[in-house]
Amino acid sequence: MPRIKIYQEDHIASPMWRMWQTFSANPFAVIGLWAVIFLLILTIFAPFIAPYSAEMQDQQVLLLPPSWDPAGTVEHFLGTDDLGRDIFSRILHGVQLTFGMSLLIVAASLIFGFVIGSLSGMMHGIKSSVLSHLLDALLSIPSLLMAILVVAVMGPGLNNVFWGVGIAMVPQFVRAIHLAVHEELQKEYVTAAKLDGANSLQVFWYVIMPNVWDVVIIQVTMAISAAILDIAALGFLNLGAQAPSPEWGAMVAQGLDNLLLAPWTVTIPGVAILFTVLSVNLVGDGLRSALAPIRN
Amino acid sequence: MWRYLFSRITLFMATSLVMVAVLFMASGQFPVSKAYSLSGVQYPTLEQQQQIDQDYQLHDNQLLQFTAYLRQRLSGNFGISSNSQQEVLEELEAVLPASFELSLFSGFIAVFFGVPIGVLAALGNNKALQRSILAITLTGYSIPVFWLGLTLSMWFGVNLGWLPISGQINLLYEIEPVTGFMLVDTLLSDSSYRIPAFHDALLHLILPAVTLAVLPFTLVVRITRQAILNVMNQTYIRAAEARGLHTAKILLRHVLPNALIPVIKSIGLMLGSFASYGIVVEVIFSWPGVGSWLVSGIYQRDYTVIQAGILAVSLLIIFLSILIDLLHTAINPMSRKELYASN
Repeated sequence: MPRIKIYQEDHIASPMWRMWQTFSANPFAVIGLWAVIFLLILTIFAPFIAPYSAEMQDQQVLLLPPSWDPAGTVEHFLGTDDLGRDIFSRILHGVQLTFGMSLLIVAASLIFGFVIGSLSGMMHGIKSSVLSHLLDALLSIPSLLMAILVVAVMGPGLNNVFWGVGIAMVPQFVRAIHLAVHEELQKEYVTAAKLDGANSLQVFWYVIMPNVWDVVIIQVTMAISAAILDIAALGFLNLGAQAPSPEWGAMVAQGLDNLLLAPWTVTIPGVAILFTVLSVNLVGDGLRSALAPIRN
Repeated sequence: MWRYLFSRITLFMATSLVMVAVLFMASGQFPVSKAYSLSGVQYPTLEQQQQIDQDYQLHDNQLLQFTAYLRQRLSGNFGISSNSQQEVLEELEAVLPASFELSLFSGFIAVFFGVPIGVLAALGNNKALQRSILAITLTGYSIPVFWLGLTLSMWFGVNLGWLPISGQINLLYEIEPVTGFMLVDTLLSDSSYRIPAFHDALLHLILPAVTLAVLPFTLVVRITRQAILNVMNQTYIRAAEARGLHTAKILLRHVLPNALIPVIKSIGLMLGSFASYGIVVEVIFSWPGVGSWLVSGIYQRDYTVIQAGILAVSLLIIFLSILIDLLHTAINPMSRKELYASN
């Protein structure tokens, strides 16, 4: 039986659909989205695509320039480094370490930050202020210093980057979610829901949260790009991923010895980081401007 | 306002206390003996051992140890650096001004260029120019700072040979530290080469300062632009236009003072990442500041240096962010109103 159309008006788009329409009208945001999807696919499949393993050393082709250089070959598309390792393969393996790791860190700190932030946001008075201001102290430690502290305790390594950057990131989520929940809590529609007899869990989940998700989404995109930059910076300072690892920041640090002789060993991982962070930021920017009319 | 000031000072105290507590707990976890990680003396004589035990009350419970730790740190006893055997406090005093010089200079660059370009991006008539400003700021925001520093030093330092790429001043010049700010010290020194030395110090400052300025610059441009677009929609701007005021006057008297309020706030929020970037920049350009001191401290497992560096930087950030918060409230009565209403 066909659906009967009773109403004269057009179909009213849901907020989600309207947001998508605004988002997809911005070509840069869509390019960023495609790039992020591409990176997500690479995160899963990169080890199968990469022509060589990340650590394989070919002594015949040391410091081979990229293939567009007259001296380069197509076998090593982006050239090789000073140990004869294929840079293209290392970049592909590095997607998991830099981009994948940042997703993990953000997911973990989002869960913690969400729980603490919404608890403290729903509470009043001294409890709320203790929970939110306690973390202000952690918020004031820059992520790099936090990572240095973690490295001092546990020694360098990629696992400790997880803890260092993660601990530094939780307070940001707590703060953003606390503020958003607290702000919504003052509004009249929340009072109306309370008068209807909703308990605080219902108020939180069904009344407040739909208006807080956009804050969470924006915060997540900002956190991902910050996490990528932090992981790479720690790798570069030799405090995160250690030498043979194909993490992009560590690759820049390893290429540093041959900077004058083979600048591509530094340039290519740097461009990879730039590309990743830029595409995440494009998506974040697009989301922010798509959400702006709904927020106001 | 006084009530607000009081609550902010309390917040500063509480946050700093939590900060010291975090450091105290972390220093208990360092993979060395507690006496070593607190004092920096690796092989103490019997007397030193007794002194350390007494100073930090190592035989008492954790709470008393913490108060002893707090007392020692507040009285300026940061222990000695196990690597150089110098007092950590003296080393800290020697490296702090260099970091201040670098960050002040790059903050100045960021605001000095960022605000006008933000205005241009908001009000200019040229769509292509606006778009390219936005594209450039987004790229600048996404660029990894260590890579940018390396690339800039490759181009301007090595290939073109215009600018020096490491250190604060050429080692040929012997400058007596007075304020610790190299630019000021060179001018204050009474040697015959003070003008060339000043010139040299300025050239050394340019590359690191520009590299560090990229992040705050992009943020200042974006936030200024957004704030100006918001302010331009307000009714009082239309009223000013209706009264026939000159555009420049509207901009300077009505738009900018209101638009700069969110910029000040965002500078406060940016301090943490600015400090992170500063550390990396100092390492790349061998700038003798807190950042490179701290990173060499971690390479050498110099636990007292790590504690002192982290404590100094994070206390500074707490202090500055609360100061900016106060400033923001002082010049923006609206936020004060919100504050009282919420209590």
